[in-house]
Amino acid sequence: MAASSSPYVTLISNDGFEFIISRDAACVAGTIKKMLDPNSLFAEAISGRCTLGMINGVVLEKVCEYLYYNLKHKGEKDVPDMEIPPELCLELLMAADFLHV
Amino acid sequence: MVFDYFPPVAITMAGRRAANNQIRGPQSALTDFLASNNISAAQISADYERRQREARQQQEQEAAANGESTNQNNDEEGRVETAAQKKKRKRQQEKTLAKIKASNGSKRQKKRKDEDSDGENDDVAWDMYTKKKPLPGQLENCENCEKRFTVTAYSKTGPDGGLLCTKCSKEQEDQKKKDQKSKQQAVSRDKRRHVQSNLLDGIVQIGSKSLQELCIKVLFFIDAVNSLHAERSNSVQEVANNIHEVDEFGDLPQSLLNRLSKILSRRRVITSRTLDLFLRPDLESIDIYDCGKLETEDYVRLFSVVPKVQNLNLRNAGQFKDEVLEYVIERDVPIRYLQLEAANLVSNGKWAEFFEKCGHRLESLKLSWLDYSMDDDTFMDLIRHCPNIRRLKMKKCFRLGDVALGAITGLRQLEHLSLRLPTATTPDVLADLISSVGPGLRTLSLEGFSDADDNVLSTIHSSCTQLSKLRFTENDYCTDAGFASLFTGWSNPALAFIDLSSNRSVDYAIPDGPEDPLGLASGGFEALMGHSGSRLERLDISSCRHITYESFSKVFNGKEQYPVLKDINISFLTKIDTSVVAGMFRSCPELTKVTAFGCFNVIEVAVPKGVALIGVPNAQDSIVQEGDLDADVWQSLTM
Repeated sequence: MAASSSPYVTLISNDGFEFIISRDAACVAGTIKKMLDPNSLFAEAISGRCTLGMINGVVLEKVCEYLYYNLKHKGEKDVPDMEIPPELCLELLMAADFLHV
Repeated sequence: MVFDYFPPVAITMAGRRAANNQIRGPQSALTDFLASNNISAAQISADYERRQREARQQQEQEAAANGESTNQNNDEEGRVETAAQKKKRKRQQEKTLAKIKASNGSKRQKKRKDEDSDGENDDVAWDMYTKKKPLPGQLENCENCEKRFTVTAYSKTGPDGGLLCTKCSKEQEDQKKKDQKSKQQAVSRDKRRHVQSNLLDGIVQIGSKSLQELCIKVLFFIDAVNSLHAERSNSVQEVANNIHEVDEFGDLPQSLLNRLSKILSRRRVITSRTLDLFLRPDLESIDIYDCGKLETEDYVRLFSVVPKVQNLNLRNAGQFKDEVLEYVIERDVPIRYLQLEAANLVSNGKWAEFFEKCGHRLESLKLSWLDYSMDDDTFMDLIRHCPNIRRLKMKKCFRLGDVALGAITGLRQLEHLSLRLPTATTPDVLADLISSVGPGLRTLSLEGFSDADDNVLSTIHSSCTQLSKLRFTENDYCTDAGFASLFTGWSNPALAFIDLSSNRSVDYAIPDGPEDPLGLASGGFEALMGHSGSRLERLDISSCRHITYESFSKVFNGKEQYPVLKDINISFLTKIDTSVVAGMFRSCPELTKVTAFGCFNVIEVAVPKGVALIGVPNAQDSIVQEGDLDADVWQSLTM
């Protein structure tokens, strides 16, 4: 029960990298938000650990960066764009589609 | 600059290193290393000696010059200078300085010449000498103004690699700053332009872009500056920059493929090569929005790679010919939803064959811009062989007329009907059609039926009972009473989409329209909002110019709520003013887009956050209201 109220959650990539990020940031992504919904009784919600089997560490790191970037600029106007390396953008695009961000 | 300046010397040295591979006695590690880089210790010490010598000479000269002036100063001490004397002294000082400068310059030139005459070896040495930066405290001639100055840690490097004196350093820095500033300004101007352009598309950005947007932007290299460049240079290469490095999209989901297709189409870069990105054997749906650059073979390839395509949407498909349709018939491609634009090279005979062989599968058929083929007879074949069509859209099919219109009654399953026939049609045929298929219809779009009369409207009223979308545009025959009775007591539930644009009188003799208003006017508009206001999401009443100001204020009074209305088009309704628009913002809490071209009375309206107000000339810098309109602001707006 402690995990579901912790302000931090863990995202795990398919190659085993773990990213511990704040719950607020994680919930920017619709899919992760649903995974972590305390009412869902999903294993992820109880343990506070989300294993994202189709996303590798490099991409997931960028995703985490985006989640914080999004949180930081919430409600602002004229937000500067985040840097995305072109070689990552297709994989990132698929991850974004999956995560609903 | 990404590339470091690498002196050409290095290249010649590398060449020589290979040639001078000789055996030598033991050397210190440093000498060895230097030798391996073709730097001779002897050369260095010789250079050092020479530099020292030159510096000494220079100093002596300067000391001599300074000595003179100090002597002068000493002489003058204790005397009261007159203005004239002061001037004279200044002139003298300047003269001396000029002399020193000149001597320095000529000596330097001479030095240069000497070095040049000494042959290649010295040339290399000279280059090495100039490349080496003097240490702080040393004296050096400024690259720009040739003045002698003391090198400090803050001395800047000039454009040719030499050092600059304090004054020139400062000038260079200022210039740099200036350049940077103007660049920043350019970027911010482009950004503003981009925001305005987005605004025209009805996009108001709050917070950061979604990660998908960002990725797509990178993929297509779209940013404010680049798209501007692209517009200027009109170069395809620049536009779809990164896309040319993509070999395949992999397992991108259909929705994303569709987005990418739209973007590529909009940039007109769908070619044989980029088409391949959208072809995958497992796909069932293909949407290409601009096939202008595709050849007949490309379509055949499309069907051979994606044999199971069920949903095919090809716009601007000029080269979609008989052969392609032949291939589809032959391979029995299971197309269920077909949308083709401008496929004019398919003959009537081939269409008939296609309908006969594959028609039973068709559930949706949308054809547009056909001015050569698809006549009434072929259309009869369509009706005969495609009984399962639920969605039919025929737009700008120039050879269809009353016969085709009447034939549509044969489609018993029809749910969505969209027609725009350039030829004149008889209102009664249209009314018959609606009364026949109306009960099953969920959406009805009749564009440009300029001869339709109130009878058509009353048929819609009596037959259609489950519409969620209604479009009836460009007509000057139907009366306001007709529209009012359509929406009064209509058993059809509230609609989500209504487009009644350009229903107005076009008689120039009576600019305000006849006594009994023609087109959609106050009565019809109020009835419409009364009937559908609760569920209405999109409303287009542009150019319905007979709706009165009172009617607008009544409908958008701020108290009446239209809870889901998101998108309104009120273009060319000149009676609308600021307070009506303000009332609109209050009456429609979900509003995201208001199109108001030509509404000249809308001035300096406070636009709520998240709403795009488009086309208002006076509201160029629209005041964006943070949060809700409070009572005071509301008062001041409605005054």
